[in-house]
Amino acid sequence: MNERDIRISANLLKIASVAFGLLLWHVLAVYVINDTALLVSPTVVVKTAYEMLFVTGELYPHLFASSWIFFYGFFLAILAGVPLGFVMALNPVVRDYVNPWMATLYTTPRIAFAPILLLWFGIGGGSKIAIVFLGCVFPILINSYYGMRVVDREYVELARSFRLKPWALFVKILLPASVPFILSGIRLAIGRGLTGVAIAEWFGATEGLGYLVFFAGQTLNVPTLFVGVAAFAVLGIVGFELVRRFEAYITPWKKEAQGQ
Amino acid sequence: MAGPVLELRSLHKEIPRKDREPFKIFQNVNLSLRDGEFVSVVGPSGCGKTTMLRVINGLLARTSGEILIDGRSADAMDHELVMGFVFQGASLLPWRTSLKNVLLGVEGRGQNPKEAKQIARKYLDLVGLNGFENHYPHELSGGMQQRVNLARALAVNPRILLMDEPFAALDAQTRNFMQLELLRIWRETKKTVIFVTHMISEAILLSDRVIVFSHRPGTIRSEFAVPLERPRRMEMRSDPRFLELENTVWKQIEEEVNASGGFAQM
Repeated sequence: MNERDIRISANLLKIASVAFGLLLWHVLAVYVINDTALLVSPTVVVKTAYEMLFVTGELYPHLFASSWIFFYGFFLAILAGVPLGFVMALNPVVRDYVNPWMATLYTTPRIAFAPILLLWFGIGGGSKIAIVFLGCVFPILINSYYGMRVVDREYVELARSFRLKPWALFVKILLPASVPFILSGIRLAIGRGLTGVAIAEWFGATEGLGYLVFFAGQTLNVPTLFVGVAAFAVLGIVGFELVRRFEAYITPWKKEAQGQ
Repeated sequence: MAGPVLELRSLHKEIPRKDREPFKIFQNVNLSLRDGEFVSVVGPSGCGKTTMLRVINGLLARTSGEILIDGRSADAMDHELVMGFVFQGASLLPWRTSLKNVLLGVEGRGQNPKEAKQIARKYLDLVGLNGFENHYPHELSGGMQQRVNLARALAVNPRILLMDEPFAALDAQTRNFMQLELLRIWRETKKTVIFVTHMISEAILLSDRVIVFSHRPGTIRSEFAVPLERPRRMEMRSDPRFLELENTVWKQIEEEVNASGGFAQM
């Protein structure tokens, strides 16, 4: 098989997998469980999603509220995590100073912070953004740190042989060498950030996908619940795809990034 | 006659160890290279020849001794690019194209970006990579990668070129072509070269002089002027003078290996 055939067959496999999953879901919902208070067919979910998007339009406020919180927390995490990771990698004093805090905060479940953050920031956007930020910042920070720590010794020697100044070493060698690591941190952060959105909106929110899911669960509105979950999934997929495209764009030297 | 371009005086390198005497890498190395000379260094594995090259370039600090360039201490001109280093692995930056890899040492040194690019292009042309400016390293063969590596070291127009087994990873045929290419480029650029290699025939084919290192701690055991005229050709490898020298050098290395406890100990 040539490369094109392989790509086509890979795509067919993906489509087949999704189609089979939906079919299994439909069969389970309609013929096995047969109780709309527990599970509804994907056709019902699609129909509900269609109504919420194009008839009543009631999904948009939730979608926008969640997206807004997500991107705020996510970008703040990049802005804080990447530079802090770099500084930790380049300066052992900073590393040793920050490390105990990082280890503690990273391993404590974020949901445990939610009530205290709500207490501090109130039930507005601030506390939600803080929860998302806490979810996103550590994978980004740790990967940025690690990426800069593991730069090939060979490249550093090369820089020395050309007598590059510290700033040139950073910009021309350390930074580009770290990019793939930072991007995997960002990928991890997408999933953790969306979890953060869901958690944040379960506590005293009045809109957002997390609130929608929570509220639908309380009122046994199974179709809406599934639409909410699906919307989270779509946000995650869109986020991953954006990162993948960004990676292919800024790391054209990496075949892996372009291939799939 | 002008003085030597590079002079090593009692160069010595050791690594301090806890609770034990320091680990000597090489000691008492005295060597001088005249302008445009091509000198190879051969010796048993682990004799410190690669480390010596790194010390000369200032990638590692020396323990004692002097390094003089045109009679001046190398320490005083550390910030100048008087030496170009050709690494064993091509060590090309994978995120830079050939042209940008060659630019690494050239850019940001006063001249405008356009001039810098012209210089980089010139050296890519010199190593025969015209038309491959925008290729990334993974798109190039091993031989082409080493050409970029060479162009990158040359592009800063160094007085001295330090080459650390640059062809070790290439297949035998590519290696032969690269040896001839290196000779052509050397003729055109007239650099002073120290070339470290494991391959005795490579050292003889390329060099004016072959230096034989002893086992560790390495020091210069002997040196031979290569009795072959230039330009060198591949056929010279079967010249009786070539074969005789190859044999002599091999015997010395064999003795060094045996004196260090034998090949099995290496």
